[in-house]
Amino acid sequence: MAHAIEHEYTTTGLNHRKMLMWVFLGSDCLFFGSLIATYMVYRGQSLVGPYPVDIINVPVTTISTFVLLLSSFAMVQALAATHADNRRAIVGWLLATAFLGAIFIGFQIVEFNTFKNEGLTLGGNLFGATFFTLTGFHGAHVTLGIIWLVALAILGKKGRLGPNTALDVELCGLYWHFVDIVWIVIFTLLYLIGGFDAGPAPLGG
Amino acid sequence: MAHQTEHTTNHPSTKQYVTIAIILFAITIVEFLLIWDRVGIADDLGASKIPLLVALSAVKFAIVILFYMHLKFDNPFFLRVFVAGLTLAFLVGIAVISLFVGFEGKPRTFAQNTAVPYEEHAEKDSGEAVTGETGAKETDTPIMTGPVTLVVGVAGETLGFDTQSITAASGAEVTISVTNPSANNSHNLVIVKAGTKDAVAADGTAAGPTNDWVTPGDSRVIAHTKLLTPGVDGEVTFTAPAPGTYQFVCTFPGHNFTMFGDFVVN
Repeated sequence: MAHAIEHEYTTTGLNHRKMLMWVFLGSDCLFFGSLIATYMVYRGQSLVGPYPVDIINVPVTTISTFVLLLSSFAMVQALAATHADNRRAIVGWLLATAFLGAIFIGFQIVEFNTFKNEGLTLGGNLFGATFFTLTGFHGAHVTLGIIWLVALAILGKKGRLGPNTALDVELCGLYWHFVDIVWIVIFTLLYLIGGFDAGPAPLGG
Repeated sequence: MAHQTEHTTNHPSTKQYVTIAIILFAITIVEFLLIWDRVGIADDLGASKIPLLVALSAVKFAIVILFYMHLKFDNPFFLRVFVAGLTLAFLVGIAVISLFVGFEGKPRTFAQNTAVPYEEHAEKDSGEAVTGETGAKETDTPIMTGPVTLVVGVAGETLGFDTQSITAASGAEVTISVTNPSANNSHNLVIVKAGTKDAVAADGTAAGPTNDWVTPGDSRVIAHTKLLTPGVDGEVTFTAPAPGTYQFVCTFPGHNFTMFGDFVVN
């Protein structure tokens, strides 16, 4: 069965579903690239506060970054467990990945709330508009990934994941790692570099 | 089975995954140490660290896609597909940023000149004057660019209009409403380029009353009403041309010498 599926005839000789996922991830680069470019264009252009230096909390976000990196590690373990046909490990690692992703989202919810209470809103200034749009869409990607992971964990619990269906887990993993690398970029640009911008002029060019 | 064995060995071992995770963590710690002394401080000393931070971020990015996403071991075509998207994303980013950098001035300057405080949007929409430090240019009186209607009357039985000058904003949709109370005379109203009223009228005489005393397709004519017979009113609607002074005139033969005025476009 599995061989019949994995060796289906395609013009490229590559699996359709995996190709589709990579094409999607390539196009998602454009999506996030545009939002990041918009953030860069409007960086330091806000007329009123709060400015990044007033509210960005780098230490706390560094912790949530660690959490997301750790979740990627859990994801590769889930895939390894799938290849090894270890049902308990599959479910365990998938749920661990989803749980770590949920912690990341928890950090984001607290962060958004804190920012809102300090006066940063989507319509208040350019920093708020670009910050919430970019990190909000990333958070939405993470949330979608969590739903996907939990759905897979349920399949795993029913014994429907194993070496023959490893691609199901692999595709989810590709998506999850992609969300991770997008955060790597956002963390560097918005927090490590942009987190110290004060109004009104941009620092360092 | 052979396929699966090959597939499994294509992936890094758990030990390798742990090593990769440790490297990713270590890089993040280095990144944090590079900037943590600046937390809460606005200074530009960190600017020199930006290339290093970007490089570290790129290394993490590469490690994740090559190992966690198996691109190092998978078919190179997947890598090409992804890199194509990534390259396009970079080009879009560069294009957007270049577009703004290419503009004279900065978005901020533009915003300062045009911004209206958020709370006062409602007031502005309701037509009240916006007060306060909007940073708006104190300059010109507001130009009405919405549709405007100007009324021009014929001065009774005399061969003249009741107004010497009408004004509109360039680009506005202007309607000129003409009243003709005369019991005997027919009139029209023609908007022409400055100084051309007599020439247009002379040519219009040749065109005759069936053409409303206006030569069809005359390039000097901006717009004109129909020929208004005694006691009949009419109107003409057109988009105000580029700023400047134009003329309005009645091209009924002989009327043009006394029956005209200025049409000023701001």
